[in-house]
Amino acid sequence: MRNPLSLIVGTVGVLALLGILGLAFPESVAGDLAGIVFSTSTATSTARLAAPIVLAGLGGIFAEKSGVINIGLEGLLIISAFVSVYAASVVEIGSTVFGVPALAVGFLAGIAASTLLSAVFAVVCIEFKADQIIAGLAIWLIALGLAPFMSTVFFGGVNTPNLGASVGWRYSAALVLLATVGSWWLLNQTAFGKHLRAAGENPKALDTVGVSVSKVRYAGVLLSGVLSGVGGSALALSIGQFVGSGETMVQGKGFIAIVVYLFGNYNPIGALGAGTLFAGLQALQTRLQQLGYGIPSSLVETIPYVAVIVVLAFVGRTQIPEAAGEHYETEE
Amino acid sequence: MNPAVHLDGITKRFPGVVANDDVDLEVERGSVHALLGENGAGKTTLMNVLYGLYQPTEGIVRLDGEPQSFDSPRDAIDAGVGMIHQHFMLVDPMTVWENVVLGNEPKTWGGLRVDRAAAREAVVELSERYGFDVDPDATVADVSVGEQQRVEILKALYRGADVLIMDEPTAVLTPQEVEELYGVFEELTEQGKTIIFISHKLGEALSAADDITVLRDGVNVGTVAAADVTREELAEMMVGREVLMDPATPPQETGDRVLEVTGLSVEDDRGVEAVSDLSFELRAGEILGVAGVDGNGQSQLAEAITGLRESSSGDVRYRGEPMAGKTRRDRIERGMAFIPEDRQERGLVMSYDLTENAILGSQHDPPFARGGRLDWRASRDHAESVIEQYDVRPPDAGAEAESLSGGNQQKFIVGREFERDPDLVVATHPTRGVDIGSTEFLHDRLLELRAEGKAVLLVSSKLDEVQGLSDRLAVMHEGEFTGIVDPATVTEEEIGLLMAGESLDDESVEGAALHDDAGDGAGTGDAGDGDGADDSPGDEIDGSAGGGEGVDA
Repeated sequence: MRNPLSLIVGTVGVLALLGILGLAFPESVAGDLAGIVFSTSTATSTARLAAPIVLAGLGGIFAEKSGVINIGLEGLLIISAFVSVYAASVVEIGSTVFGVPALAVGFLAGIAASTLLSAVFAVVCIEFKADQIIAGLAIWLIALGLAPFMSTVFFGGVNTPNLGASVGWRYSAALVLLATVGSWWLLNQTAFGKHLRAAGENPKALDTVGVSVSKVRYAGVLLSGVLSGVGGSALALSIGQFVGSGETMVQGKGFIAIVVYLFGNYNPIGALGAGTLFAGLQALQTRLQQLGYGIPSSLVETIPYVAVIVVLAFVGRTQIPEAAGEHYETEE
Repeated sequence: MNPAVHLDGITKRFPGVVANDDVDLEVERGSVHALLGENGAGKTTLMNVLYGLYQPTEGIVRLDGEPQSFDSPRDAIDAGVGMIHQHFMLVDPMTVWENVVLGNEPKTWGGLRVDRAAAREAVVELSERYGFDVDPDATVADVSVGEQQRVEILKALYRGADVLIMDEPTAVLTPQEVEELYGVFEELTEQGKTIIFISHKLGEALSAADDITVLRDGVNVGTVAAADVTREELAEMMVGREVLMDPATPPQETGDRVLEVTGLSVEDDRGVEAVSDLSFELRAGEILGVAGVDGNGQSQLAEAITGLRESSSGDVRYRGEPMAGKTRRDRIERGMAFIPEDRQERGLVMSYDLTENAILGSQHDPPFARGGRLDWRASRDHAESVIEQYDVRPPDAGAEAESLSGGNQQKFIVGREFERDPDLVVATHPTRGVDIGSTEFLHDRLLELRAEGKAVLLVSSKLDEVQGLSDRLAVMHEGEFTGIVDPATVTEEEIGLLMAGESLDDESVEGAALHDDAGDGAGTGDAGDGDGADDSPGDEIDGSAGGGEGVDA
């Protein structure tokens, strides 16, 4: 808990300093910045961006705690982002009241797609003992190619048309909070949480007391699929469109999610704090671009990543599960 | 009354191997039974059958007379058989109570929550009943090895075990913890639990067990009451022939000075001085034993001599050449062999096969290195010759080091180091974890090296080993030699006093053993010493001084 706490204190400190400077010198750059940081639009887009980052981060915690490092979170976000939009468009937003049933279908389809892809990853890693890093990269690359391709097939372009209705930021925020509390409970209060931890720390200890290590690891990886699915769907449906050009609309959020949970030291609350911080930085960067500061946009876009490096340098090493990344084979 | 455990004609075959051949074993309720045998005698296989990991090829397991058929350890646990592995099956960052209840957590809220209070209560209640001193809220990683073992026992008891199987329970314990474990045995058996423990240590079986069953090559050689048998008889049952319990050290003339250590001080990893201003010398054809309680600087001394650790001050000379600034590789090339105490960490690369391991340290030298590439054929031949000469099992140069038992790993390392044809062997705990047959063999090899005129620095915590093999015995305490004594005349009590840091009266200490630097200062005294033919350590100080004079003149 020490790391997330110092993180929160530091963030609050910087924000307070900025606020004071902004109030004292409203005409200066600090005043401008303070205006941007404390604007409603920055807050709402933070909530919207935090959903995929925090949810994928929570998913990553479950996978890695069980001993499977899932660096394919990015791929899970991409696939669920596209499938959710596609499913919602099939139901046709316009024909339903406020688009609610269509959005619900979109969510379910997005979660299903991400879970399915994570199941492929789980089988390859647990059953066939493939290298987890390579398999994770493959999951990302598959989704990165597949989602824009399907978009082209179904919609005639890598970007889907806009659905014309979207999920409000309040729902995104609620989903994030719910998932964080739920994950914390699952990890710290249930027998499953204990088994998960044992599977990642000393799988043999779990095996000898008669709990199947593979089952626990499958559960961990599938949960990472479910949570990433919620995150990816929330990202796409909050805008009502899937953008498939370049790195797609996910834009590395799945990779930031890995940093987020490492940073939060495998604690869901910590991941929530770190995820919100990075989402805030991304929102800020977007706002700065919109306001047309004389800074090149490509430089501004690096802010979250530079922040990752800086923050990691200060936070240092986290408690990686002892057996993470190692295959486990039960005797006989 | 039926015995608590009755293994009836158990045969277990693996492809190409018969691990257990028609073994009968009966264990009375409330008794401690030792299963004694050498590495590879089939003890562990037999116990794996009893706790359900293996299914017997033939034969039947009976508990209280009832035939059982176990498909998995889970079945055995349900029938009241608990296994405590040599390497503990604990999750280090979790607490004691979390480990004890793992997999059988009491739950509340319809299974949504682990009932922490009930779990702690159960652990506290069990530890009180058996008199264990265990803090349920401590993190396992923070408690001592002895305590971790008690957590393992609690795990088995929590699951309702009546029969406890322990695999080499004392292997990782300090002598004090071993005593505590024997106390735990008593508590458990008084309350009707039955204990079977696997061991290859005679003394342990004799002092802790009521009955002893000896296995050899998968066959039950016999079951005896511990009260009615001697060490020698047991050793003979284990090995199948008479065993010389005390190696004889024939007197021998020593040759040139091979190693001179002057005023050596070494720090440990934390920067604390572990070796303080130590001076001694070692001659060709001599074994200098270093005894002492583990952690009194023996490891750091060995590392400083072999070049694995920098010394903070002082001087190490090897065959007259100062070793300051010489790397490990330089020293290997000059004929300095090293048997490290942690064989898995430093002796072998566990994921390499034996062929690769056989050339570690010689990988730069012919015949293994030729024109910038490694000659794997030569390496393999070398590995096979080590395997054959040192009886490493299984005899497969392609086997990964990891797949060998500890004793065989050790034999392989010793073989590799001895086959370097060294002039100096620094051996730390060379027979730790090795069965008695192999120990006897390794001792013979050490004496052969000595007869060939090699110098040996033997660090061991086994007192009978250092005392039996050494020509001179140094006792180390807090980084200093509290005395260098003649192992033939010193008593165990005297060694005990030295180990505790006390000094002996002048007459019982070989006063000459600690060398005066004066004569060594020039470092060229070898010529004068060599022909001294002074095999008695008592004369050495004169020889050394004489050498100094000889150079001056």
